[in-house]
Amino acid sequence: MNPQAKLISSLSLLLGTTLTISSNHWMMAWTGLEINTLAILPLISKSHHPRAIEASTKYFLTQATASTLLLFSSTTNAWFTGQWDITQLTHPTSCTLLTLAISMKLGLVPFHFWFPEVLQGSSLMTNLLLATIMKFPPTTLLFMTSSSLNPTLMSTLAIASAALGGWMGLNQTQIRKTLAFSSIAHLGWMTIILIYYPKLTLLTFYIYSLTTAAIFFTLNNINTLKLSTMMTAWTKTPSLAAMLMLVLLSLAGLPPLTGFLPKWMIIQELIKQELTTMATIITLLSLLGLFFYLRLAYCATITLPPNSVNYMKQWQINKPINMLTTTLTTLSIMLLPLSPMILSIP
Amino acid sequence: MTFLHLTFYSTFTLSSLGLAFHRTHLISALLCLESMMLSMYIALSMWPIQTQTTSSTLMPILMLAFSACEAGTGLAILVASSRTHGSDLLHNLNLLQC
Repeated sequence: MNPQAKLISSLSLLLGTTLTISSNHWMMAWTGLEINTLAILPLISKSHHPRAIEASTKYFLTQATASTLLLFSSTTNAWFTGQWDITQLTHPTSCTLLTLAISMKLGLVPFHFWFPEVLQGSSLMTNLLLATIMKFPPTTLLFMTSSSLNPTLMSTLAIASAALGGWMGLNQTQIRKTLAFSSIAHLGWMTIILIYYPKLTLLTFYIYSLTTAAIFFTLNNINTLKLSTMMTAWTKTPSLAAMLMLVLLSLAGLPPLTGFLPKWMIIQELIKQELTTMATIITLLSLLGLFFYLRLAYCATITLPPNSVNYMKQWQINKPINMLTTTLTTLSIMLLPLSPMILSIP
Repeated sequence: MTFLHLTFYSTFTLSSLGLAFHRTHLISALLCLESMMLSMYIALSMWPIQTQTTSSTLMPILMLAFSACEAGTGLAILVASSRTHGSDLLHNLNLLQC
């Protein structure tokens, strides 16, 4: 891609994100979301492959609809309450419409159908942007309006997302679609705790972005898109393949890895709020995710398919690993002992 | 609810239903998106008139600027899909199913 176009797209992404997360007025929040949508479309469609164009079409239509619905909800709230402040969204219809608009932006069930296909149609680095940065402004808007949202609706969306994210990820062989469903399941965890303890939503989001970034950078280094090609990663970078298993288990939420921290805190807070049934249901639903994470780990690390030659590592091909990849991988495995410090930050 | 509010709500709802139920062509979805934006523009333009605050006259202009950008992007995507898929028929956008 043209370097100037890439620069403008990336700077616009940063601008849109910063604009939305630091706004007080709904127009500024909407503007930031629009800038984000417009900026990432060239990044999705840059390869001009038919799949990429189809992915950008689906992404554009859903995100534009969601932005307009968001503006509509804030306009109705302004008509009823006379102000445009984000934290003062109090009218019930506006809150419901806002929840629907943001769940369309994020990819919560039942508005998730675009998400696996858009991730499938774009490259791995664009997938990283779609799964982390594009989700940050809508999560921030939910965080800012969390006190006036409908608990029943949020819980329904959350449990449905965790369920569908787990179940639909089970039958996938394409890694990008699997990670899309894992993203939907994690969004379910983020939204179930939003009403009761919004800080944990942001904590889950940060740790999810960290772990997902580690996975996408690793997959980009191995240059694999399917389960079958992931099996040959051990011959090229055996240490990275070994770390990939730990990062995947961290994403699944197993102790003593970092991904356990948000799940632990969320379950604790749900039990404090007398919602033990909901905590049990969502924990059981995350077992489905564990299955396909284990399948990915199995293909990458645990099995050693026969190689073309007898020795293990191919010494001829020595692709250096990015320092960022190793930093993210280490952080996504080792951060659990620092949890008191992490919990005091946001 | 005044007649103005009813008009705005019904226009927006009809356009969003048209966007949700578009069946054949991509361009009908883009047209419905534009009519949603148009109804939002009318609603936002009524705001400074009813509340007599001229500083909020900025809002419909800002919204119009971004909706024009979005319309241009939508048309660019329409042209791109015509180049790769041959037409803007939504039936042909099925490459990403598997």
